[in-house]
Amino acid sequence: MGMMLSARLKARQLAFRKLKDILLFLENEMCALGKPLNKVFEDLAKGNYGGVWTPVFHRSGSILKEQSLDAGSAWRIALEEAAAALPLACEDLDLLKDFGELLGKSDREMQQAVLNMEKEKLSAMEQKAKEAAETTGRLYRNLGALLGAAMVILLI
Amino acid sequence: MDKAYQAGDLSRISNYLPDRIKRVVDRISPEMALCLEELRINAGIPLVGVFSGLDCFIAEDGSFTDKPETAFHAGREEVEELFYRLCEHSVYAYQEDIARGFLTLKGGCRAGICGRVVYQGQTIKGLKDISSVCIRVSRELKGCAEEVFPFIRSGRHDICNTMVISPPRCGKTTILRDLCRIISTGSRKADFAGLRTVIVDERSEIAACYRGVAQNDCGPRTDVLDGCRKPEGIEMALRGMSPAVIVVDELGSRQDAESVRMAWNAGARIIATAHAYDISDLRERLGFGMLIGKGGFERYVVLGIRDGKRWIKVTDAYGNQLYHNNQTPGMPYGILRMLSHGDDAVCEAESQAACVPEA
Repeated sequence: MGMMLSARLKARQLAFRKLKDILLFLENEMCALGKPLNKVFEDLAKGNYGGVWTPVFHRSGSILKEQSLDAGSAWRIALEEAAAALPLACEDLDLLKDFGELLGKSDREMQQAVLNMEKEKLSAMEQKAKEAAETTGRLYRNLGALLGAAMVILLI
Repeated sequence: MDKAYQAGDLSRISNYLPDRIKRVVDRISPEMALCLEELRINAGIPLVGVFSGLDCFIAEDGSFTDKPETAFHAGREEVEELFYRLCEHSVYAYQEDIARGFLTLKGGCRAGICGRVVYQGQTIKGLKDISSVCIRVSRELKGCAEEVFPFIRSGRHDICNTMVISPPRCGKTTILRDLCRIISTGSRKADFAGLRTVIVDERSEIAACYRGVAQNDCGPRTDVLDGCRKPEGIEMALRGMSPAVIVVDELGSRQDAESVRMAWNAGARIIATAHAYDISDLRERLGFGMLIGKGGFERYVVLGIRDGKRWIKVTDAYGNQLYHNNQTPGMPYGILRMLSHGDDAVCEAESQAACVPEA
């Protein structure tokens, strides 16, 4: 149990790192190649480059394509639908909800600035997640080991 | 002319429209919808439809009205939403097109955009505060150049250098597109084998490329240089694609004329259009003198409208008429009925109309 909780904290940190990597992909596809968002999201999902975020980008891409909603709304819907499967806490989801809000609404120069801003935000979140994984994760692991040992002693 | 009219044209644009505007457009009667050439959506100003060249205000129930106050008014937010939808919510992906003032949509329609222009130095960087959008419904009339084609072919494997001329909105680009299709595909009827063709589509009107795919049928041997200025495009085509024929729309400058000369020197044929009423009008234009007369264009396809009737003629370089055809008025019955108060209005509308399919 303790190991599982600790692993989830580690997965949370890795999820933020993955999203940061995805931002580099988005920057290249959007600002350098000028592909529209639905195509970028589609390619990201198809290439399986997105890791845990693949379903979110896949769903966002199809919402953009089929429902003509903006990237902010598409991202919010997709994130809510995939929330249970993501190794994130409620406050993380709240912070990530606005991720798509400014995507697609300006020229390449501004989009680059938007993506850089998101990158900084994610770096801070990743750092916090890393600290949590180290401190709380260790605590979970130790507690798990202690509880396990206590159970063995009781059973003997 | 055989007019292969595409049904359901409005479905190509209605998917882009915000809900309220879409509801109004969907209520336009099918007969009228088929004649819709332009939809002009302006923040705070009545919704205007251009039907066979005639401007009409559109009411909320899809009917026409001549009173602006009873017409449907789109809001500023709706115009903005429409703009984002036209850009597929990816403004950055269309920023070059936006700076040129129009977007090419899936299906070949075009949307002109107005708003506040943003400059970066001397060049237009983009537009902000979008105030109006004009969606132009494109219509591909396959077969409309079949009757004139035999007069521009020169044997089974060659064509004459040809210029299509007419005043604005008489169908130059439509004829050019179909000529390109026939030249590229070949024609059994005219005993003509197809030729390698390159379109230099500066304004994305001939092939109407959407994400690199031509939305209009320009033939199987056609390559398209989309959004490329004519002088550079002609040079690029000659260097890289070894075309037998180069197709360009709206020659207008001395540089364009010099590029055409360059293509001729390289052995390529040119099919082009230009705004003019006749050949003498064209001759007086800056730079065009070198393209007319001996060693210049060998055929002229001249289009026009007189008394509500379209006509088309083909002449050689010396002005000898090779073909002439007066067409039917082409005004759909619905528009005629709407304008039953006087023939003058019909003729006036017709004189402004672009290629109009027969009722």
